[in-house]
Amino acid sequence: MTSDHPLRRRTLLRAALGLGALAPLGGLSLAGQAAPGGPRLVLMLLRGGLDGLGAVPALGDPAFAEARGALGRYAQPPLPLDNLFALHPALAGLHTRWGAGELLVLHATGLGYRDRSHFDAQQVLESGGERPFALNTGWLGRALAGGHNKGMAFQSAVPLALRGHAEVDTWAPSARPEPAPDLVDRLQRLYADDPALAAALARARALRGDRPGDMRGGMPGDMPGGMPGNMPGGAAAMAGMAAPAAGGRSAPAALARQAAAFLAKPDGPQIAVLEMGGWDSHANQVADPGPWANNLRQLDAALAALHEGLSTPAAGDTWRRTVVLVVTEFGRTVAINGTQGSDHGSGSVAFALGGAVRGGRVIADWPGLAPTQRHDGRDLRITTDLRALFKTVLVQHLGLPAARVAGEVLPGSASLPLLDLLRG
Amino acid sequence: MVPTQLQQAALAAHRFGLGEADLDVVGGDARGWLLAQIGPADSQRGSPLPGLSQALAVQIEARRQPGAAGNTALRNQVLADIRARLQTAASTERPFAERLALFWSNHFTVSLGKGSSTGLVGAFEREAIRPHIAGRFADLLMAATTHPAMLRYLDNFLSAGPQSRVVQRLQRRSALQQAASAQAGEMATPVAPAPPRRSGLNENLARELLELHTLGVAGGGGAFGPWGGYGQADVTALAAVLTGWRGPRPGEAAAGNAADDAFDAFDANWHQPGAKTVLGRSYAEGPQALRQVVDDLSRHPSTARFIATKLVRHLVADQPPPALVARVAQRFSQSEGDLKAVYASLLAAPEAWQPQPAKLKTPEEFVISSARLLRLGDRLTARAPDAGLSALGQRPHAASSPAGWPDSAADWLGPEAVWQRMAWAVQVAERLGGNLDARALAQASLGPLLSQASRQQIERAADGAQALTLLLMAPEFQRR
Repeated sequence: MTSDHPLRRRTLLRAALGLGALAPLGGLSLAGQAAPGGPRLVLMLLRGGLDGLGAVPALGDPAFAEARGALGRYAQPPLPLDNLFALHPALAGLHTRWGAGELLVLHATGLGYRDRSHFDAQQVLESGGERPFALNTGWLGRALAGGHNKGMAFQSAVPLALRGHAEVDTWAPSARPEPAPDLVDRLQRLYADDPALAAALARARALRGDRPGDMRGGMPGDMPGGMPGNMPGGAAAMAGMAAPAAGGRSAPAALARQAAAFLAKPDGPQIAVLEMGGWDSHANQVADPGPWANNLRQLDAALAALHEGLSTPAAGDTWRRTVVLVVTEFGRTVAINGTQGSDHGSGSVAFALGGAVRGGRVIADWPGLAPTQRHDGRDLRITTDLRALFKTVLVQHLGLPAARVAGEVLPGSASLPLLDLLRG
Repeated sequence: MVPTQLQQAALAAHRFGLGEADLDVVGGDARGWLLAQIGPADSQRGSPLPGLSQALAVQIEARRQPGAAGNTALRNQVLADIRARLQTAASTERPFAERLALFWSNHFTVSLGKGSSTGLVGAFEREAIRPHIAGRFADLLMAATTHPAMLRYLDNFLSAGPQSRVVQRLQRRSALQQAASAQAGEMATPVAPAPPRRSGLNENLARELLELHTLGVAGGGGAFGPWGGYGQADVTALAAVLTGWRGPRPGEAAAGNAADDAFDAFDANWHQPGAKTVLGRSYAEGPQALRQVVDDLSRHPSTARFIATKLVRHLVADQPPPALVARVAQRFSQSEGDLKAVYASLLAAPEAWQPQPAKLKTPEEFVISSARLLRLGDRLTARAPDAGLSALGQRPHAASSPAGWPDSAADWLGPEAVWQRMAWAVQVAERLGGNLDARALAQASLGPLLSQASRQQIERAADGAQALTLLLMAPEFQRR
């Protein structure tokens, strides 16, 4: 039994409590205690509408080549999954997970909402509601509410998916030196009458008492207080698409590494939320190398960083207890549009990977790609409600009671099936 | 509770303006001070600031010349635009107009994150937004929609009518090529010709024009709605109306004639022939159709409601009072989108003058108001062109989507946000705090907005730098 064994560490925690008040900074953070050895969930939100049919082409569908045109032709051979589907060649890391039986692909999936607005669809995706703004908290926030587990987001603000529960931490790297403890104490007093600011400050302090390693170096590619050095060239490479949400070219993988570091701790968060933008590929989706393919590479790198970080010896068996969900708010048109891209659509793909996943399979009730088989004659039809994936994870991975999931966490989901997702 | 004259001055300075170092600037008639500022925004500080033609020439040159020189020129242009934006806001004597210019720039977001619009955002703000903030909404909308920076940002310069001359030509050419190679006996199996690069419609601008700029998202609005009223067919038809609006032709852009920024943005060869039906009305083929659609959209009741909601949210509260939104929407409709009348109706509303600062400042508002409090002027951008805003999560001109930056505390206030603002404040305070009296500054600037508790905390600070940090981080300064 090493000194890092969870059981011994819990004992140390109790001993520390007995010694009286801890210093405000440094020392252990006591916000929430996830059961060591419990399940871990990562939600990776892909904002902008990922072209699922491009990321996971249905090569075995005889209508595929004609339906997609140039969108269905790849610079390198796609990586085979089964008789029907393959992976975009940029997703090599994901393909390795497939080989290890740790990746499940859900295709022709999407939300009940169909009006193709990013903002409304993302609201539905994160709130877990059936219509935009029916709910103004997040399904993960509601899942955590009232329990002892923590959620964590890797950006400056709390995403909707995690809202609704007090114990949400955020983490984003800072390039500046830490302010003096005395100042921070005074600020806390200054915020005595402003609960929102007080709470934000208190949690930032707790987080720093808890932060693994020294992450004060800033984001790779960013200059403190200035523009990233690679700006013009990077911007030119983004011709035709919106830039990814975080600054710097390696940002998603760096944040994923941080997330893994937190998740691996025995008293770390149970749920982490990451996100990536840049998926709204109205133009210039075909080129490889090109902005869309490069974005897929960044996603692949981020997911690989999660796997690595959760599989280190120090992480113990965390990967085996982890499910990573990769979802997007809607897919894109089957046919290529007038600018070598695709417009807003409906059905897309979702990924579930992790040691807890019974992978190596594609779940898809395949609707076909002929124009008469498309939704509105243009989109991949949705045949599996994406919320079935959420429901399965909530009930079978996080272990929430089915009645609570159907009633308050994911209202209206009672009739959705549970998917065959998990090991054991 | 009716605010006192001094409270009104403080609210005028901080809530409607961008912050003042001394409330004396406002004088005894706070509302009058604001009303007098309504008009086109000032010319920006810093010169020479390029117009669109020159800015586009620099961008194109950077792409043509992969390598240091072109990229440096583009980078310098981007930084000059950012500096101009921040320096102007830090120094202006018409801060209410400046706030409105920033509001509309955000509403009609064009971002540098996309290669096609990098380097053009400053010109866009100077030419399409700033001159039109106090005229008719339809004029602002037309200017923003047809400015080449927007046409590029939302891909419209690549959009061609499927039956337009350009597409017909390309299709004929590729059909001829295929026939020629078949005749020459090449290839037993026919090879599909490479698809023409610009072969059809792109819906991006049409969709955002309806959803983000005018009607608001279909089915949205909640208590403030209904918004929307359009369907997918309207998006597609509007995209067809928009075809042909491309911006200057490559030759014009390369000439970069800064003296003549007039350009012919419409190219009939790309325009979809035939009439189009948008929201139940038919519009004839040709460039005049867009102006007609713009006028009709500006008169649509959803637009009045959507714009009113955004304005009230920006100036009054994250949760806009529905009654006020309704009144402002009505003013918008009655005045046919006369923005000056709309602003006046907002300034006349008691709800806009409730004395407790509620709205959390965005990072940019925080930085600008700090600069004005400390009279930094151009020193704001001396160390970094963006004044440190990237680290605060709001890199200027770099919103991550056409929806722009959000406008409520829930979107900005995470633990990291507070910590980063504190780190920024510490840096500034360590340079300046030793040389000024934060207590006097707090009194002169915030006046009656400053609570007794905060005043005490500032007074008990360990040193000048700490006192200034506490002032910048006080709830009364973080909110407006």
